[in-house]
Amino acid sequence: MSAFFENLWRDFDDCFLSYDYYMLYLKGLRNTMIIAVLASLIGLLIGIITTGIRIAPKNNKIMKVLDGIARLYVTIIRGTPVVLQLFIGYFVIFATMKSFTFFEVKETAGIWVAALVFGINSGAYMSEVLRGGINAVDKGQMEAGRSLGLSWTATFFRIVLPQALKSAIPTMFNEFITLVKETSVAGYVGIIDLMKIQKYITTQNAKLYVPLFIIAIIYLVIVLILQRIQKILERRFARSER
Amino acid sequence: MKGNDLKYSGSLIQIKGLYKNFGKLQVLKGVSTEIKKGEKVVIIGPSGSGKSTILRCMNLLEVPTYGEIWFEGKLLTPIDPYLHPEIIRLSKTYQKMLVDAESTGDKKPREQVDAEIIAEIKQKDLLKKHEGGEYKSAIKTLYKSNFSDINITRQKIGMVFQHFNLFNNLTVMQNLTLAPVHLKLKSKAQAEEKGMELLKRIGLEDKANVYPSTLSGGQKQRIAIIRALAMEPDVMLFDEPTSALDPEMVGEVLELMKELAAEGMTMVVVTHEMGFAREVASRILFMDDGVIKEENPPKEFFANPKDDRLKEFLSKVL
Repeated sequence: MSAFFENLWRDFDDCFLSYDYYMLYLKGLRNTMIIAVLASLIGLLIGIITTGIRIAPKNNKIMKVLDGIARLYVTIIRGTPVVLQLFIGYFVIFATMKSFTFFEVKETAGIWVAALVFGINSGAYMSEVLRGGINAVDKGQMEAGRSLGLSWTATFFRIVLPQALKSAIPTMFNEFITLVKETSVAGYVGIIDLMKIQKYITTQNAKLYVPLFIIAIIYLVIVLILQRIQKILERRFARSER
Repeated sequence: MKGNDLKYSGSLIQIKGLYKNFGKLQVLKGVSTEIKKGEKVVIIGPSGSGKSTILRCMNLLEVPTYGEIWFEGKLLTPIDPYLHPEIIRLSKTYQKMLVDAESTGDKKPREQVDAEIIAEIKQKDLLKKHEGGEYKSAIKTLYKSNFSDINITRQKIGMVFQHFNLFNNLTVMQNLTLAPVHLKLKSKAQAEEKGMELLKRIGLEDKANVYPSTLSGGQKQRIAIIRALAMEPDVMLFDEPTSALDPEMVGEVLELMKELAAEGMTMVVVTHEMGFAREVASRILFMDDGVIKEENPPKEFFANPKDDRLKEFLSKVL
């Protein structure tokens, strides 16, 4: 039994402590978090704009065209795998950019492309969450506001949106948690995220399982912390009406 | 008052030839009536008869498919050309029909030909989208001199809903003050003073700072009523205000409505409360299948119903 633990410790030492490998994990984690945080900010922005377009009254042609574009965007993003979107984003857009010689594109720019791609992806999901939250608010709330002479916009921002956010924000935070895990495919396009570290270490010391488990534990700890924050957010928003 | 005096005869609300379709479903099939200042009009009828729809058209929560609604001499809906013979006469369709009629050589008087053509156009819905510049500009002129901003008009039309629709994210006092303050009709202090006065009136001054979710149905509905009153409206519309309440709470809401009626508020009430209709109404409308089948003061209405459908309806509810 003790031999098992000794082996385990030696493996852990080989894969985490020696040669400052833990710095590699940290670097990977940093990149993962940069992509996830940036992507959810971009996603939030796109989500708000998309939702705005989709729920605003469609009383002219421009709004109808924009609505069509917003629908198409949500359909395409939600209907294709994120890895595929990443490949298209990276190889098509990034490579085209690189082919213009007057653009000085550094290798590290890949991380920003990934953040953008994941952001565009997340925006579609965020908008669905936000729209769901808005649609869940009783229609009577808008009617009551309008019947008092308040404009659509005033009623929306004073009455409907605050109620929608109450249910949508915890779910949107959930999107962020999902995003942290989803970015693990960024390694496919050569970005050094947390997941990619396993490959580096395995190629150096031929150990496969231990780095995988270490990475699993790091993801798990991060997600548990984020879920904790989400619980607090949920409780906060539930309390505001008492 | 500008424009068409014909349209304004001292009525608060005028409803002219109103039709409302929801997709293929015809809910209103030609409703015309008017509400005079100080009147208490109760609308009754079986479910699906269009009584809620007609009420919701009065403040344009539902936009009618055809017909016009006038409030205090101002037009809320677009112009319905079929209601204006003088506009129909400007249409290409009318002029073409007139030429055709004259070329047949009949020696009918001019007025009769005119009346026949207009009747035919109305009946067969012959007006098209493009009927010439004169026709178009006549509609535009009439509209421009009579239309009103719906958001401003709605300030004068209070509405009470079946499901109260208090703003869930605001306290009772914020519910009462949001619209007057946001629309700059009152300062915050003035609005709160008025709100407190109204809360005292219904005996709920201790509820000023609670959220609606903590209130009973009866309390919610009474606050919904004073929220509308806080705008100092000229007319109050009630859409089945007691239908969603527990039986023991119906009384307190009806009591408040009776008080309002006694103070001279103009009221239009859609309800199933026959006792209230009998006691408070100055006129009762019976709606069935999208039209007004009968309208009379309560005494005559209950004692001497003429329409068969109304007789059947009354025999079931009384």
